[in-house]
Formats: sequence, structure tokens, C-alpha cells
Amino acid sequence: MSEMPFPDTPRVDAYDKVCGKPIFAADDARSGLLHAAFAVSTVAKGHITSLDTTAALTVRGVRLVLTHENIGEVKPRGFIMGGGYGFQSFQPMLSPAIAYRGQPIALVAADTLEAAMEAASRIEATYEQQPFSVTLDAEGTETINQADTPLKNFIPEIVVGDAEQAFATASVKIDEVYNCPVQHQNPIELIATVAAWDGDRLRIHEGTQNAEAIRHGVATALGLAPEKIEVISSFAGGGFGQKNSLQTQTVLVAIAARRTGQPVKLVVPRTGVFHDASFRPATRHRVRLGADKAGKIVAGVHEIDAQTSRHDLFPGEYAATSSRLYGFASFRGVERLVRTDVQTPGYMRAPFEHPACYAMESAIDELAYALGQDPVELRLANDTSVDSPTGLPLSSRHVAACLRRGAERFGWAQRSMAPQSMHGEDGSQIGWGVALGAYPGIMVPAIAHLKVADDGNVTISVGGHEMGQGIRTALANAVSRKLDVPLEKVSVVIGDTRVAPQHLTAGSWGTASAIPAAEDACDAMLKALADLSRTGVRGSPAEILKAAGRQSLEVEVQRKAPGQPDAIFERLRAGLPSIGGPVYGSYVTFSYIAHFVEVRVEPGTRRIRVPRVVSVADCGRVISPRTAASQVRGGVVWGIGAALREASEVDARYGGFLNADLAEYVLPVNADIGSIDVEFIDEPDKTFNSAGAKGLGEVAMTGAAAAIANAVFHATGRRVRNLPIRIEHLL
Amino acid sequence: MTLDQIAEAPTSGVRNDGSEVTVRLRVNGRDHRVTVDPRTSLLDLLREHLALTGAKKGCDHGQCGACTVHLDGRRVVSCLTPAVQASERQVTTIEGLASSDGRLHPMQQAFIDHDALQCGYCTPGQIMSAVACVQEGHADSIERIREYMSGNLCRCGAYVGIVAAIQDAAAKMRRA
Repeated sequence: MSEMPFPDTPRVDAYDKVCGKPIFAADDARSGLLHAAFAVSTVAKGHITSLDTTAALTVRGVRLVLTHENIGEVKPRGFIMGGGYGFQSFQPMLSPAIAYRGQPIALVAADTLEAAMEAASRIEATYEQQPFSVTLDAEGTETINQADTPLKNFIPEIVVGDAEQAFATASVKIDEVYNCPVQHQNPIELIATVAAWDGDRLRIHEGTQNAEAIRHGVATALGLAPEKIEVISSFAGGGFGQKNSLQTQTVLVAIAARRTGQPVKLVVPRTGVFHDASFRPATRHRVRLGADKAGKIVAGVHEIDAQTSRHDLFPGEYAATSSRLYGFASFRGVERLVRTDVQTPGYMRAPFEHPACYAMESAIDELAYALGQDPVELRLANDTSVDSPTGLPLSSRHVAACLRRGAERFGWAQRSMAPQSMHGEDGSQIGWGVALGAYPGIMVPAIAHLKVADDGNVTISVGGHEMGQGIRTALANAVSRKLDVPLEKVSVVIGDTRVAPQHLTAGSWGTASAIPAAEDACDAMLKALADLSRTGVRGSPAEILKAAGRQSLEVEVQRKAPGQPDAIFERLRAGLPSIGGPVYGSYVTFSYIAHFVEVRVEPGTRRIRVPRVVSVADCGRVISPRTAASQVRGGVVWGIGAALREASEVDARYGGFLNADLAEYVLPVNADIGSIDVEFIDEPDKTFNSAGAKGLGEVAMTGAAAAIANAVFHATGRRVRNLPIRIEHLL
Repeated sequence: MTLDQIAEAPTSGVRNDGSEVTVRLRVNGRDHRVTVDPRTSLLDLLREHLALTGAKKGCDHGQCGACTVHLDGRRVVSCLTPAVQASERQVTTIEGLASSDGRLHPMQQAFIDHDALQCGYCTPGQIMSAVACVQEGHADSIERIREYMSGNLCRCGAYVGIVAAIQDAAAKMRRA
């Protein structure tokens, strides 16, 4: 039975969501709650020379104004990619230093939100300013070759053969530069913290992808034992990578709550989400491809300049995916980091893989046209079953099936190759584009606790955070099937440090990590039930318990990625990233997707529309078909946003971002989205894990922007190599 | 009425002492009298004073639609609606949409059936807008639904499901 596809079942938390139940952190409306607001820096770099809080303190209802002058001792909590817990190492408000525009300089806590906001606006600061640089090419930036830093020990350079030499002698060459702008994740749930003390114990409610990092980061900062802190994030209103570690405000809210003796809620305004949390860094990609006349790719070189901050090196892993798209005979990846005066950039859905696939898959389309080959055929001809960078076999790769199924569903055979050769009845130019996407198959350790009760209720508690991807539904599905109990009897407790260590949920590893652990727990439970029922009683877990006179039975199992040492569980418990893969000693695992896109460019306005997309994904076994399809559709919407809409406009004059709200930062809206047709290969990858599941949430987005850009080229003959592609580029 | 007279009047929506106002309004069929800072938005009144937290704050600028509620039967973004503007008026929020016996509104059920949501944060606003979209007569074609639902952002990208849910529920709402 476990070899069968999973049935289409409803999202298990959909009922609460359509009823508007209070499931998010900021939904806490208890009486006695204080409201907090930040005053922020109006300069981009320098230090505070004076901070006048007198007027703020006169506002009625103000209980506390916290600044670097009165905050007391707070210890460094570190950077998540440097052995710590923060999205950046820099914690504002501990000193007069200003590292970026929009950085908090004071926190006000007051009886009402209105009083807190007014008081925050009355805080007067003067600064000594320093020169700053906020764009890749600005004077004063510093460029670092990643291979010259200790990061090379964690992120191996991609070098296969002598790609430069092979490129030099190739018959057909592509050598182009592609640019991706700064973007912001913008989950609709604002970053928000509610902190409440009970004696020396602290409880934090925050929508996060990493409750354990909040717990340990706050413990480190405040010098508390982690056992004194509970972090609860049963639901996050979208994360997309921005909520993957300790934010700026959490420690400050906890201090305010301790200082005032009351629970404190802080909801970061949308402009703060742009200016004081992570974002997708600007990147520039030079891609060189060399092929023989038959279309065999003999060389790939991918050089990346990616923005980072002054205080942290946000690692680049772009070539790690672009090098895996095909069976490259030779490949070289070069990752360079450019220090700028911003908060540390970070992870935004498919953080490296979206830009990498956009650049590489655009270049592949250019190669197809240089060769005069059909873009699908060129891709099929360069497919592989061997991982080019390591020479290891791939545990599964159904790229050819994705391309063939997608081409068939889309009607690709009807496409005429020449640009500007297809038109709609209204005179619009029609373009059909294709691109592949890939994403590493990653697993993290998990501890799962399973309880069955004689009333039939089953509770699975495991590490994982629900942010809309559907992990709660996938867990319920897996446990329901393994124990043969009704879905509605299964409760899933996740995002809660009280029940199990809560490893960061990101990197599309949630399902591949939590599901095998949950299934192991079910196996352990079935064995324990069998031991109980030796008297001969058969039936459901509840019946076995009743027959044995037991109210409940509990088991706990732990599970780690292949090849990880047992010490990994200590890292898990310490709230540190404990990531395995995609190279697992004897094999390599990636997820894949093929996108087929139709664009229509209106003749008069040059407006670009995307009436239909067909996407076929290879994510191993699909554990929750309904939520998985939604994930892919969402990923395609993100691809449309990335290709045609989204860019954070950097203010080179004053620092920060000019369009820091949801009207000026243009997200895809309902009217931008047409038909999105999704299919899964649904072939389990049992080499990767016992559930056969690979990641999905991020691979869904990869390649979609390239498919759109390629379709725009097909429609118009214009190859736009800077995202987003807008009307003005087609005039 | 002069400003002084307003200041002294004890009725709804007027200033008591220069820093607070009392607002009387009916929310989901229940009468409330709430004393708030005059700068309070209807959204913050609902969430922070009445603990009706279904309407969400996503931007506080009227740009995302997560705070959508019905004011006298018409959809408004409650973050851009001063609480005093709702005085003596009727507000319906997501908490008031299901019938008193707990039966879901057809739109709520359709959102479940079509998986028209992921994280659920924008969902209450989407559903309140969707109900209004049907009642306004804007749900008669896919194109019009898409257009009239474009004030409600969904970052998870559940738009395909949202349109399908509205088509489904619109038919049931017309029959009802």
C-alpha cells in the first residue's frame, strides 16, 4: 500500500484558516498587552551622536523607551551562516553604530499602538554620517572571491575539467551577462513578536521558520538557559526564507517585556520588513556556454557577483545548481561576494537556484537559437544520469519525462521556431518558452514523538513549521496511512519548541525530513502495539489499547540524513542548521521541474501577459497531492513576479529602498495570473529516503522566470537579460 | 453643531476629553461600545479592542486587502477606515460569516474545496472580498473575478484556486 500514490485530501488546517481563527502570533489580544513600535535610522551609515527621548516619554500611555543607552548588557547572538542564530550578526540598538538606513534606534512600549507610534515618531536623533555604498558597482564596495574565504570548506567550488579551455575551442559559443535585482520576500504576515515573562520563564509567539533559533538566540543574547524559553509558531503567514532565523526585534521585545513586567507585542510595519530583515541580494551572472555543432554542450562557465553586507558574508551557492542542470562535460563556477552597506541579505524562495536557473536557462535558450535547434530537443540531448560536478550517480532524475510530458500537455509541437512568428487574432505577439529548474535534495535530522490514545486520537509531534506549504497535511496523510486511522483523528503539533526540537524549515527539506521520521515513529508504534496485542487482539490502535487496558502509548524516534554523525542531534537540539546533502557519499539528489509558458505581448501597449503555464515536477513521491499542486502553482506565480514585476528600488542617494510598501513593490495580483496546469511524475526516490519524497516548494519556482523570458524572446525577438522585464524594455 | 458641542455630546463617534472617543457599532450582529484613541483604525479596533483577529494587518496602507471587512454590506479595507467612521454602522468580519449553527458560508467551503489558500493569512480578506465580489455582480466571468479580486494580494500565489472557489460559490450563492 505504501507504494501507491497518496490520495487527494483537503488541507487539514483549511477550516481554521477560512474561519479566521486566531492562529498567528499577532492575533494575541490579551488584556494588559503593551504595544511596541520602533524609531529607525534616517541615515545609511555612521553613528548616533545624540538621541533625545524627552518628547517621546511625555506621550500619554508610554511605559518604556529603550535605546542603546539604557538597554543594558546583551550578548552577540551571531549570524545563522556563521555558527549563530541571527539573520545577521549585527544587533541594532546595542551601540550608537548605524550600519544601514532603516535600522531601529529606539523601541517604545505603550498602552496603545497609537501612543507607541506617536512616541516613536517624536524621538530625535542626530548622526555623524559616513560614506556608503548600496549597489554592486558603487564606489566603496569590496569584492571577495568566496573561494578565498573559509566558506570554501562548506561550499565546494564547482570545477569539472578545464571549462575555460573547452569554451575557447568550442564551435558554438554563448557569452552573456544576466542581472537579477534586489527583491523582498514580503510574506503577507508582517514580522511580529509577542513576548511574555512568567517569573524567569519567557514565552515567545512569533511567526517563524526556525523556532529553535529564536529560542537559543534569545537565550544567548540574554544569558538565559534555553530551558527557560519556549517559542511557539504553530503557523507562519508565509515565510519564503525571510523568517528563517532570529530577527532584529525579538530580543528587544523580550527585554521590553521584562523591563515593563507586561507582555509586549511588536508588529514590524511593512517598511521595516523591507529595511530591517533579509532580502534577495542583487546578483550579476556572466554565463559562457560552448557546444559542438551537433548541440552537445562541452563547456559551461558561470561567474556570479552577489551582494552581501559589511558585517556578514552571505554565501553564494549559485553554480551548485546551474552546474547540475545538464551533463556538462566541463564546468567552472566562480562565486564572488560584494560588500555593501545594507542589512545582511538572505534567503528568498529558491535563493540561489532561481537566479542561477534564470541565467543558465536563458543562456541555454540562446544556445538553442545559435544552433538552430528546438529548445526542448537541445535540453533532452544534454540530459544526464550522472552528477557532473561529482561524477556520482543521481538518485533519481526524471528531467526527460518532465520535458516530454510538459511538451505534450502544452502542445509544444505546434510551436514555430522563429521569433515573432506567432500571433493572436488581436494582433498580439505570442511567444512560447521552456526552461528547466532544479533544486538540491536536502535532509535535516528530526525527532518525532507519536502518541496514540484509546479514544482513537493520534498525535504526531515533530520538528517542522507550517507556513502554507502544507507540511501539516503531509504529516497527517503519512501517519493516517501508516497507522490506518482516519485523517481527522490525526493531530499534528509542529513549530513548538515544547514538543520536539524545531530545526529550521527551509530549503524544501521539510517533507523529506519530517515524513520519514514520522513514518519511522509509526513503524515503532506498530511494533509496540503488536507487542501489546500478543493476546491475539487485532484491530485499530485504539482497539488494541482498550483490549490491553492501556489509555495511551507513546514512542519517540530520531532520524538523520544519510551519512550524518550521531552528533548531529546535538546541533539539532542547539538550534543550529544541521543540513545534509545534496551529495550523499555514493549518490546525489536533486528535484527537477520543466515549465512551458505562453506569453502574449499586446500590440499597442506592449503589455506582457501570461495566459497559460504547464509545469511538470519531479519531486519524488507526492505525499499531499492537493497542497503539492498549490505549491507548484504558487512557485509559478513567484516566477511570474520575478520575471515581470518584482524589484526593490535601491536608493543610492540616501540608502534603503524607495518602494518599501506593497503598492510600489509590485507583486503579482489575481489579474496577472492565467491558467497554471500542474503535473507530477510521482516516482518515489527510495534511495534518498524511505518515504521517497524529494523537495518541492522551491524547485517549483526555479526556471519559471527563464521560461517567461525565453517566451518573451520568442514573441518579440528581444532578448532581455535584466529582470524584471517590463513594458519599457519592449517599446 | 459646533466643535464644543461635539466635545460635550455623549453619543457615539465623538471626542470625550481630547484623547479618546467612544465608538458605538454593531459587529457581526452584536452591539459594541468601545473607547479608543481617535487615530485608531477600524482594523485595530476589531483586533486589539474586540479580539476579532480574523481581519489581518499586512500593510496598514490599504494595499494588500488582508484587512477587508464589510461595512454596511460593502467591502472596505479596515486599516484605512478610521474606527470613528464605523460608528453607528454595521460591520461584518470573517468571524461573522458562518451561520450561527456553525455551518460554513458557501464561500468558506469553496475555499477549502479548491485549496484556495496556503498560509491562510490573506484568506479572511480574500473571502470577505470574494463574497462582496459575488454580491456586487462581478463574479460573472473569470476575467471579471480576476479584476475585482486584484485588491487582495496572496503571496503564496493561490490565485487559481481563489478564482475557482469564487466561481463555485457564486453559483451556490445565487441558488441560495
